[in-house]
Amino acid sequence: MDCDKCGEPAVVHAAYSGLHTCESHFRRSVEKRVRRRVREDSLVPDDATPADPETWVVGLSGGKDSVVLTQVLQDTFAEDPRISLVALSIHEGIEGYRDESLAACEALTADLDLRHEVISYAEEFGVRMDDVVAEDPENMAACAYCGVFRRDVLERYAERLGADKLLTGHNLDDEAQTALMNVFEGDVAQMASHFDASLGPFEPTGEGPTERARREQDHHVPRAKPLRDVPEKEVALYAHLRDLPAHITECPHAEGAYRGEIRELLLEMEERHPGTRHSVMAGYEKLAALAAAALDDTEDDPDFGSCDECGAPTAREVCRKCGLLDALGASA
Amino acid sequence: MRVTVSVVGEDTCEVAVDPGDTYADLLASLEYNPHRVSVLVDGRPVPEDAAVDADRVEILRLVKGG
Repeated sequence: MDCDKCGEPAVVHAAYSGLHTCESHFRRSVEKRVRRRVREDSLVPDDATPADPETWVVGLSGGKDSVVLTQVLQDTFAEDPRISLVALSIHEGIEGYRDESLAACEALTADLDLRHEVISYAEEFGVRMDDVVAEDPENMAACAYCGVFRRDVLERYAERLGADKLLTGHNLDDEAQTALMNVFEGDVAQMASHFDASLGPFEPTGEGPTERARREQDHHVPRAKPLRDVPEKEVALYAHLRDLPAHITECPHAEGAYRGEIRELLLEMEERHPGTRHSVMAGYEKLAALAAAALDDTEDDPDFGSCDECGAPTAREVCRKCGLLDALGASA
Repeated sequence: MRVTVSVVGEDTCEVAVDPGDTYADLLASLEYNPHRVSVLVDGRPVPEDAAVDADRVEILRLVKGG
């Protein structure tokens, strides 16, 4: 079977577009989608100049998604003096898992000549995820603890590294799952905050209410997900074809039963109705924009103050991270 | 015809394939989800909707939980 663009042997068929593409056209198409998303979300502000460049911190786990994002961004912006990239990795303290993926991060950042910072929960908080899971004082899934700690580290270090934006490697499947989870849970406020925190463009894309920009949040480094138009399989195939150093083992503590169900459901729908993930996201982004606009008028931003224990921005007296560390008998 | 299928890093098996069957059919007979794996022929990925045209193929797990 041949590439629809050039007649070379095809390596992939995208059922949602009907296109067969060869390796070279497939690679270009992935890169184009990332660059288009960077443009459409207005990630590069007009006032970024070589004298006053923007700093983008990329969350680099060593998995295929963040590795592909880092590679494509560096390919795109290495020669652009307006953008400076820094990779940030986290060691959660998971035996036999994170060491290998950190090796992938180091190989990649060395190859790309990129500044790379590694932060460990052990040094930051005095805890390791393997021990947290064993102790489990709050009777929660491993990811619930880990997510709180991860957000805290990403947020603080992004700020410390002078980040204007924090970029993560969420792919189309990840985002469509989150979208459906918010729909199934009926959580309109969460849709609005999803829009303002990471999905919404930095400048309006048009006149209509669904084309609005995200609301600026002064208590958090703004996030963006430039890989979110590319399906998970294509991200992985891209990493494979370019022989990028990516680690694909699943975290041994991963549970996420509900997300797992949504994922199965979405892939079944995608199989029967190609394009489902794309249309879910396209519609959800508009709904999230409307929700953000509507809630903007009716609700103030929750009162953000500082955590009594660590000073992190929080709407509570003691932030969630410090609450968990207290329960674990550890302290930052 | 019979096709030898090896899953990269795992087992090898033989599968009966009818004329006109695609790589997607082959994956379905082994209960692999085409959104999580890629089929390699001579080490190169092939589109899943192409008719099976090799007597040895590899299945590469691309996505965790494949």
